[in-house]
Amino acid sequence: MNGTRGALSEMNGRVDNAFSAAIDRIHVAHGVGRMALLLVVTFGFFAVLRPEIFLNSVNLQNIGIAAPEIGVLALALMLAMLTGGIDLSVVSIANGAAITVSSIYTHFATTQGADAAASMTPLVLLAGLAVGALLGAVNGVLISMVGITPILATLGTMQVFNGLALVWTGGVTISGAPAALRSLGSTAVAGVPVLALVLLVAAALVAVLVNRTPIGRKVQLQGANPVASTYSGISKRATLMTTYVTSGLLAGVAGLMFLARNPSASADYGSSYVLLVIVIVVLGGTNPNGGSATVLGVLLAAVTLQVVSSGFTALRLSAYEYAIAQGVILVGVMVLDQVKFRRRRGRRAMSGTAAPEPATSAPTH
Amino acid sequence: MTARLARLRGPNNEGLLLAVIVLVVIAMSLASPAFFTAGTFFALVRSSMVPLIFALGVLLVLISGGVDVSFPAIAIFAAYTTVTLFMDGSGGTALVIFAVAMLIGAGLGMLNGVVIARFRLPTLIVTLGTQGIFKGVLIAYIGSAYISAGDLPSAITEASDRHLVDVAGGGYLHFLIVPVVVIVLLVAAMLKWTVFGRSIYAIGGDTEAARRVGIRVVRTQVWLYMLVGALAAFGGVVYVILGKNANPQSLVGTELDIIAAVVLGGASIFGGRGSVGGTVLGVVLVQLINNNLVLVGIPSTWQRAAVGVLLLLGVSIQAFAATRGRSRPVAVQKEVAA
Amino acid sequence: MTVTATPVLEVRDIVKTYGGVHALDGVSLSLAPGEVHCLAGENGSGKSTLIKIISGVERADSGAITIDGTTHGHLTPNEAIRSGVQVIYQDFSLFPNLSAAENIAMLSELAERRVLSSRSRIRAAAQRVVDDLGLSLDLDAEVERLSVADRQLIAICRALVNDAKVLIMDEPTTALTYSEVQRLFVIVRRLQQRGVAIVFVSHKLDEVLAISQRLTVLRNGRVVESGDASGYTRRAVSKAMTGRDVSETRLVNDVAPDAPQLLEVEHLSRAGGFDDVSFALRAGEILGITGLLGSGRSEIAEAVFGINPADSGRILVQGKPRRIASIHDAVDAGIGYVPEDRLTQGLFLDIPIAENMVAASLDAYRTRFGLLDRRRIRRSIADLFGRLRIQAPNSSAVVRSLSGGNAQRVVLAKWLDRKPAILLLNGPTVGVDVGSKEEIVTILREQAAAGMGIVVISDDIPELVSCCHRILIIHDGHVVAELAGDDIDADEIQRRMAA
Repeated sequence: MNGTRGALSEMNGRVDNAFSAAIDRIHVAHGVGRMALLLVVTFGFFAVLRPEIFLNSVNLQNIGIAAPEIGVLALALMLAMLTGGIDLSVVSIANGAAITVSSIYTHFATTQGADAAASMTPLVLLAGLAVGALLGAVNGVLISMVGITPILATLGTMQVFNGLALVWTGGVTISGAPAALRSLGSTAVAGVPVLALVLLVAAALVAVLVNRTPIGRKVQLQGANPVASTYSGISKRATLMTTYVTSGLLAGVAGLMFLARNPSASADYGSSYVLLVIVIVVLGGTNPNGGSATVLGVLLAAVTLQVVSSGFTALRLSAYEYAIAQGVILVGVMVLDQVKFRRRRGRRAMSGTAAPEPATSAPTH
Repeated sequence: MTARLARLRGPNNEGLLLAVIVLVVIAMSLASPAFFTAGTFFALVRSSMVPLIFALGVLLVLISGGVDVSFPAIAIFAAYTTVTLFMDGSGGTALVIFAVAMLIGAGLGMLNGVVIARFRLPTLIVTLGTQGIFKGVLIAYIGSAYISAGDLPSAITEASDRHLVDVAGGGYLHFLIVPVVVIVLLVAAMLKWTVFGRSIYAIGGDTEAARRVGIRVVRTQVWLYMLVGALAAFGGVVYVILGKNANPQSLVGTELDIIAAVVLGGASIFGGRGSVGGTVLGVVLVQLINNNLVLVGIPSTWQRAAVGVLLLLGVSIQAFAATRGRSRPVAVQKEVAA
Repeated sequence: MTVTATPVLEVRDIVKTYGGVHALDGVSLSLAPGEVHCLAGENGSGKSTLIKIISGVERADSGAITIDGTTHGHLTPNEAIRSGVQVIYQDFSLFPNLSAAENIAMLSELAERRVLSSRSRIRAAAQRVVDDLGLSLDLDAEVERLSVADRQLIAICRALVNDAKVLIMDEPTTALTYSEVQRLFVIVRRLQQRGVAIVFVSHKLDEVLAISQRLTVLRNGRVVESGDASGYTRRAVSKAMTGRDVSETRLVNDVAPDAPQLLEVEHLSRAGGFDDVSFALRAGEILGITGLLGSGRSEIAEAVFGINPADSGRILVQGKPRRIASIHDAVDAGIGYVPEDRLTQGLFLDIPIAENMVAASLDAYRTRFGLLDRRRIRRSIADLFGRLRIQAPNSSAVVRSLSGGNAQRVVLAKWLDRKPAILLLNGPTVGVDVGSKEEIVTILREQAAAGMGIVVISDDIPELVSCCHRILIIHDGHVVAELAGDDIDADEIQRRMAA
């Protein structure tokens, strides 16, 4: 009697051990460890190949200034992907926030003078963030209340937000940004650009939100299994709204960072960012089907891609070659993950037979 | 599973779509007397041709349960590459140009298909990646120059000027409408009357079940993406012929408009559902709005927002219908979930 | 009936290992035409692996499969189909978006390597099978719109469209009502007369003994029993499956006479589900709700838990009327629910055990700053691991790696951590091995003794008899009987359920 149970539990134990060992390996390989290695390798590669250009302090500064806005957008998308969704509208939202800030500021500056406008700066910036959160809320309503699939909802809102930005700006690039914001874009603290600090702070906040707060854990559970999370009393509406509003807010922050770097805004800024941001998030170890993501992985992926970008520039390669590299990295990483997953599955098949079989009941008589 | 099934139940709202189109036509006719003319109609047909071909490809992929955003990149890659191949005037009838471009397109499509089917990866993300690769390779290694009418192969410029019908006042019906209509009919027939077509629906309905009844899923998907690549290439050449120029920077960026049109046409983003008829209507509606907003006095900057709103409305209706369907047969649905 | 014809399927010495663990260890099986052969065994005994190998989905490490005289080293799915082996999967594997006719005939269209697909040919082929079996089915309806029983029939028709010689039915009765099961048996006998050999995989011993001529029991990847079904009793098969005698004795603690009412359900109705259902539950009490599938037993639980809220009636929790319009409301009111389908509804399979355990109680761990108190979480998890005797190497293993019994304990742990006043359990031991079954029942008794109110919805009558203070019997959406104390008797329940 005990013998059987002992054997069963021993078998279970063996399966469990093999499996959890595999999982542990994947976890390390999947996010942070792999990205850190990749970052070191790419950095070393370009540093060795073109040290005079690549290791130049101006170039390093540039990486520090260009990477942050993309990093913040990636965090915004990562949140959506964590719930098993996607947010294609992040770049449109960022542009919306940038256009809002730029035009409100310009309006004040022309009607009430530069000083009055400068004193309004905090309010103007808040307006930009508010626009980000509001547009995020539009996504949230469409996804959590109307019930549209995230990919279609954000595909539509991306068009709408972008279209409205076109209408607002008349399709031209508008210029003007609060002086304080502009100086933020060119300041560095102890050699670290302020924009990079903004990214670090944003990343830390997102990490705390996701890992250390009840709502953050619920967002992750929602992504891992939406049905089970509903059956655990987790409100789908609340988690999705939180996710998309936060995502919109982060996109708003990214919009302000656009302006800080370059005091002009247009509906079409960063049109290539959508692909780039998805590459970063997937490369950073986020599961496109939801349920797992690491902030540090995404952060490292953002920096790595910026290193690749400036490395390509140092090697005199074009933006199109960078686009090729992005595509190859994206597809390559997913294929590698899949191959690894299949190898793991061989081991898992055993636990498949030992795992509970889904069954409903029927009458015995 | 239940939710997915219920959402799949969204009506194939062709009828509704037709009604909307009629309404839009009536509204536009009332707003502008210049609207209801043969010229406007032919212009609508002309501007719908390329999107329609692309939309067929998008439809096929959606039915199989995927989303493809790389087709504009494939289209311009294939068309531009073919044009540069035949630019030195080394012969090449229009037929040859189409054939070569479609071969190139099928090759690029095969790349998509192999990666997607062999490794079972999310199609949207894979095709986002390959889109970047295709466009990047085209501009970095094949050519980045704008090719104007004077430098195009003569077969193409000749084709540009072939009209089927001319009307007074400058309107005309382009002869390429004939092959376009033939392709539309062929795709519709394929989906309805071939085992390949039914297999695409089956894969989109339940991939695992398809595997179990003996459909070779990987092979079918690879063929499918090759076909979609060839369709995209065909559309690309039509685009070059109609525009009388070849610009490697063009087309990419229009993918979302096309997807919007197909989804409006009732195809389900979850796979297994969609029809050629609905797709045609979806494309016509989007083009109707894109072409004629200005005519009725709305600035052209509103185009993108208008299409976006249309898409959101269309999918909202589907979502609402699905929610209503979900709350009906409770007992049955619960059992399905098990 | 004994069958002596040459076997249509013969499986010899199949060995299959996964990562060093023997899933099948020298399994042999032979099947004569027209024989119904039952394959029984607990979860993890190797049944599913054996089916996968016979249908060519998985490849054996060694051993041979002979179908109709041809021996295959390793079989591919298409070879298996062409040799006449068909599997009816538990989930039916149908295409929800296609018509019934197309679902049935797709297989033959593919097997004949056709290029063009003809609606009339498909319709005719499907009609032929349907007529053959004497069924009435709407062949033009989309499968998505059909009932579960109809879907099962379609799956059977599909398996037969290509003249199957061997038909494997994997737990075919799980989703069927009593009368539907009887109808299925009629079809099985008709197929048998036509010489189709049937492998019937089930864990329901009564069904097994009713329908099969021969019986093979697997345990831990080995054949432990094989022979004529008539030579076995329910108890003998159960013993063979588990390796021990299972006691089915009644053990119920007394409920304190002054125990407070925790749940009062008054005149609850839901269109198409149940009508005018009332009952009450006291602290420390275990209430059983049983009935045939489709009787409304599950729907009542789902209404109380807010999944599909009731149309009318009142629910009082701890004396206070509560409006329960969503799961969220129910959880807020202090109700927990262990669902029937724990894999999709109860568990986060790719998330560590520890996180599954606190999934329903995250808000309780909020510190003053709005963050999670991780030290308290760790303490709770260690405590639950011990209390529920969960067998896993550590709490950071993912739930997917657990056996049925351990996985169910994780679902229980999730709710115990939330400390609901009332816990509803729907089919708490379905798909759980016999050892764990007993322990889960013991855990329920312990929780009840500690003051929780427990409702068990199940059709496992021995289990209900063994632990419930009272049992409600549901028939056609109504409570038709309430048994308590010494009136609780398995035969009586059976009789009332079918009435």
